[in-house]
Amino acid sequence: MSATAWAAVVVFVAAYALIASDKVHRVKVVLAGAVIMLLIGATDGHTAFFSAEAGIDWNVLFLLLGMMLIVGVLKRTGVFEYVAIWSVKRARGRPFPVMVILVLVTAVASALLDNVTTVLLIAPVTFLVCDRLGVPVVPFLIAETLASNIGGTATLVGDPPNIIIASRSGLSYDDFLVHLAPLVVVLLVVFIGLCRVMFRSAFTYDPVRAAQLMTLDEREAIHDRRLLVVSSIVLTGVTVAFVLHTVLHLQPAVVAMIGALVLLASSRLDAEEVAADVEWPTLIFFMGLFVMVGSLVNTGVIDEVSRTAAEAAEGRLAEATVGLLWGSAALSAVVDNIPYVATMAPVIGELVAAEGNTAQARSLWWALALGADLGGNATAVGASANVVALGLAEKAGHRIGFWGFTKYGLLTAVVTITISTPYVLLRYFVLA
Amino acid sequence: MRANDLAVDLPTVTIDLPVMDAARLLAQHDLPGLIVVDAQGRPTAILPGTDVLKMAVPQYCLDDPALARVIDEATADVFAHQLGDRTVGQALPDTARELPVVDEDATALEIAALMARSRSPLVAVVDAQRRLTGAVTLDGLLERVLEP
Repeated sequence: MSATAWAAVVVFVAAYALIASDKVHRVKVVLAGAVIMLLIGATDGHTAFFSAEAGIDWNVLFLLLGMMLIVGVLKRTGVFEYVAIWSVKRARGRPFPVMVILVLVTAVASALLDNVTTVLLIAPVTFLVCDRLGVPVVPFLIAETLASNIGGTATLVGDPPNIIIASRSGLSYDDFLVHLAPLVVVLLVVFIGLCRVMFRSAFTYDPVRAAQLMTLDEREAIHDRRLLVVSSIVLTGVTVAFVLHTVLHLQPAVVAMIGALVLLASSRLDAEEVAADVEWPTLIFFMGLFVMVGSLVNTGVIDEVSRTAAEAAEGRLAEATVGLLWGSAALSAVVDNIPYVATMAPVIGELVAAEGNTAQARSLWWALALGADLGGNATAVGASANVVALGLAEKAGHRIGFWGFTKYGLLTAVVTITISTPYVLLRYFVLA
Repeated sequence: MRANDLAVDLPTVTIDLPVMDAARLLAQHDLPGLIVVDAQGRPTAILPGTDVLKMAVPQYCLDDPALARVIDEATADVFAHQLGDRTVGQALPDTARELPVVDEDATALEIAALMARSRSPLVAVVDAQRRLTGAVTLDGLLERVLEP
């Protein structure tokens, strides 16, 4: 490798360590890293901005932007509150069924929207419901956060690592539905059983408090019926277009942007106000990250890593897939899964291509997605949704410590990854 | 017109007073806020009535206004019970704001500028030893400056 390539590796590792340490804001770290990569010649302006392989992945950025704008409008409709309260009232105030319903609502919403948004939307409803029921809110909040990471695994748009994988691999929305969603359904069923055991002391039924829950009027949550109708039509249209995007010859990013623009134009909301809800720091983080990873591609570092990995995996694809699944889970438990997947995606891309892009070879993509998404559950800092949930709990006066979350998260991650292992082996190797 | 001319006597509170008592003071005296003083009688903070309200309102209703609407009237009517036995100190914001305090010779414009900048409906007036001598309220200031 050239001196520039080694310099790029040093910059990259230093940036990664800083992100993991959480001492400096991650946006500052990746921007500084990207600037240094440009200054040392590990990449250049043209490559950084316009290269599909070694530059900023605009598909990922515009898909995220489109979805953030859609959510920005959707959350103003009150539909989420309506659905959540309507659903928990079906459980007639019995705590465990209430938790099951909240877990399912969160998982489904996380598959359609991103995990952090889902947690931000479900948490206030959960505080209200638990307040009414007189049950501790912490177990419910933890269960929902874990469910959001599991549910988000099911679709292309459910979790940012999946968006990166889809863009780098060319896998479609339907591919994610066909390969990951069935497993996620099984994982959710098992997770609900786990919740029954893990949080058993939280399910104290009080008929008087249950009656208080039934007095909530979910219809009042809907403030603007026109906005609700318009948003529902657009969200349904966007989801259908995602499913049909290969037939329609539209990139998911284009679908999301069209949906966002139609919704903004038809919602009568102040576009500036909605745009203020976009998580711009996250988008900037992605830009800097792509420039840094692109520098590794540009200087041949990724080629080198891929060659070594390909040699190690040669003739042992099944072992490599299982190793990637568990390795990704372990790494995603301790570092942010977004930079991890952004770094691994070009490596896996080359590995899959070297193996002839067969269905078996593509199992590496699924192992990466499952490992990164489900591994994020393992610790309090493993996924953005976990960090957000802990922050919301603290703000409401219910502090959840690192281990207070991790003891449940780790068990959930180990169980879900353990179930995923035979799924991957059976589906892509034994029964293939 | 100087701060001395505009100042009126207002009840003060200390940080260990139950916030429920502070809320009663606000209601009984029709005040926009309260001046928090230390043991020596020096103002340390202004507690706006909205901060007392913020403490009484469940956090989930602040985070998501739609949830305030779904709660039935009977429960909504007793929301102030949430204040419980919490104190004035707990109601004060964590981040320090500019303390709206002026000397006795401050002009009406000086007071108005401070109120507008600090978004405080109340400005404390202190003597040379920084002890509280009175307070100027938003209502009182506007009434005097708008006099024909």
